[in-house]
Amino acid sequence: MTDVTITVNGSVRSASVPPETTLLKLLRDVFQLTGTKLGCDVGDCGACTVLVDGMAVNACLMLAAQADGRQVLTIEGLAMKDRLHPLQKVFEESGALQCGFCGPGMLLSAKALLDDNPDPSSHDIRDALAGNLCRCTGYSKIVEAVQDAARAMRDPRTEDTRQLEMHGHD
Amino acid sequence: MTDEPKTLTRERIAVGDMWRYADDARSLPAAVPPKTLPSEPLVPQPGQQTLAVGQRVTRPDSRNHGLGRTKYIDDLAFPGMLFAKFKRAGIASARIMRIDTSAAEAMPGVMAVLTGNEIPVNSFGPTFQDQPVLADPIVRHAGDGVAAVAAVTEQIAAEAVEKITVDYEPLPAVFDPLEAMRDDAYKIHAPNSNIYASKVVRRGDVDKGFAQSDQIFEGRFTTQMVEHVPLEPHAAIAEWDANGRLTVWATIGRITLARADLARTLKLPMNRVRLIGTFVGGNFGGKNEISQEPALALLSKKAGRPVKGVFTRNDEFISSTTRHPFIMEYKTGVTKDGRILARSVRLILDGGAYCSWSATTLGKACILASGPYKIDNVHSEAHVIYTNKTMTGAMRGFGAPQVCFAYESHMDDIAKALGIDPLEIRLRNVFDEGTSSPTGQVLHSVVVRESLRNAADRFGWETRS
Ligand code: FES
Ligand code: FES
Repeated sequence: MTDVTITVNGSVRSASVPPETTLLKLLRDVFQLTGTKLGCDVGDCGACTVLVDGMAVNACLMLAAQADGRQVLTIEGLAMKDRLHPLQKVFEESGALQCGFCGPGMLLSAKALLDDNPDPSSHDIRDALAGNLCRCTGYSKIVEAVQDAARAMRDPRTEDTRQLEMHGHD
Repeated sequence: MTDEPKTLTRERIAVGDMWRYADDARSLPAAVPPKTLPSEPLVPQPGQQTLAVGQRVTRPDSRNHGLGRTKYIDDLAFPGMLFAKFKRAGIASARIMRIDTSAAEAMPGVMAVLTGNEIPVNSFGPTFQDQPVLADPIVRHAGDGVAAVAAVTEQIAAEAVEKITVDYEPLPAVFDPLEAMRDDAYKIHAPNSNIYASKVVRRGDVDKGFAQSDQIFEGRFTTQMVEHVPLEPHAAIAEWDANGRLTVWATIGRITLARADLARTLKLPMNRVRLIGTFVGGNFGGKNEISQEPALALLSKKAGRPVKGVFTRNDEFISSTTRHPFIMEYKTGVTKDGRILARSVRLILDGGAYCSWSATTLGKACILASGPYKIDNVHSEAHVIYTNKTMTGAMRGFGAPQVCFAYESHMDDIAKALGIDPLEIRLRNVFDEGTSSPTGQVLHSVVVRESLRNAADRFGWETRS
């Protein structure tokens, strides 16, 4: 057994797991964070994308032990206490999530991109999301949604407007 | 060792803690429906665009998807739950002589092993019941399951599957539908012919139409097999309780059909079977019938515990349904100015090892085969053929995309040969309001002419280089 201690969505978590356990298995089966999905288990689909120290990784390809001592962000940690992350809000509004199975991975890859580059071109977005497969949407709504979210996040008024919208003051 | 309890205690507290953010999101206002829609129900009128067109639509389930809160099958777990894995034949056509499961059964952690002879009624299918849950004794394609294992972990189940040995007597195999159609071909479902369904649509007199034509064009088009690749693989959980009631949670699109198929294969009265259709992580036609569910149910019955089965991506490609490859032969008679007088079409569908939704696909393809064109003389015929390949079934459009590819490519060839603009030749032939289709259906709300013109304007057909 290998002891692993990671910070997941801000909380320190530890577990003792067989050494071959992937980060994906640790998150889903041990920590019960099932928002991260398993689509292929071989690094092809991106459904298992999480952020490790801010970088988008395929959790099915990373051993739990390799994440020891690192910061992990999963989809469960993306929303703020009282509001959605702008990406979640825009994805929801613009129909960028259909069956939703690719959604958690897609959103986290998009977050990693926007953290790095607040004003990505559609080419940058396609490039950043190239490892995240979606069989439902045809991608165009996803790319537009990421652009909309980027615009909203760059706009200094956004936070207040969003708060108001959320609480329904018209 | 002394650390263990401490870790556990922390885990128990931490799990609740982990949900904090997503839990709070529950108090957010729900996803807003589009505001501009009138509150009274919309009754669509022929020839009129409904108000829903052009509206931005918010899916009511997106909130949970975006928060990672949607529970697909693999996100559910029950106390004591086991994991199932399937042994695939790996040979396209064979008779199973012997299956030795003893080494698998002896493995610690293996709770149940199942083979085809233990299935009460080992056949199912939405049209013909020609597909076994686990092959017994005839294997008809390499992805056929031959045995299943339920174990305490997925890894043990996978290892146990490796320990199952199967002796096969190889049988002749046929992979090409044209070859399989011949009288002397190996019969995959002997004694029946490999041609397992056919359809003909006839209108007018094609021979007369061809005789009146200025020119006759022929074309042959083929399409390939396509897998749906839903991002969520096929998955189900079965629990056979001590009262003999079965509950199945499945990612499936047709729950009533699935329930009937489960009751039939397991020889249970329907009221003993509860089927819970959960969120489907992509279907596209590939999750329209049962697959592993009866086997999971029987494993659960044997082990007395709930059993979860999730297809690997490999299972998904080799043993779930796919889109039919088509061989399409077109013959079209036209006047000098490009009006179609007669069209005959012959479709050969590669049906794979089992029928699944082939009959539906065949019918739709045959009905649509002559395209959205006014043709007085039509003869379309379609046949679906068994081959020793992964079965083909429903996939978006039920055969419509294949024939569309063929008749539109054929149209382009004709336009080119006649020196007519490809858009123009279509406008000279397309359906109009009230046209009757080759099957005699009078069509309403026909806007294909306007759609073509609009599309051509929008993408600058005239000015294309
Ligand atoms: S599950 Fe990790 S990339 Fe597909
Ligand atoms: S929404 Fe279904 S796979 Fe992307």
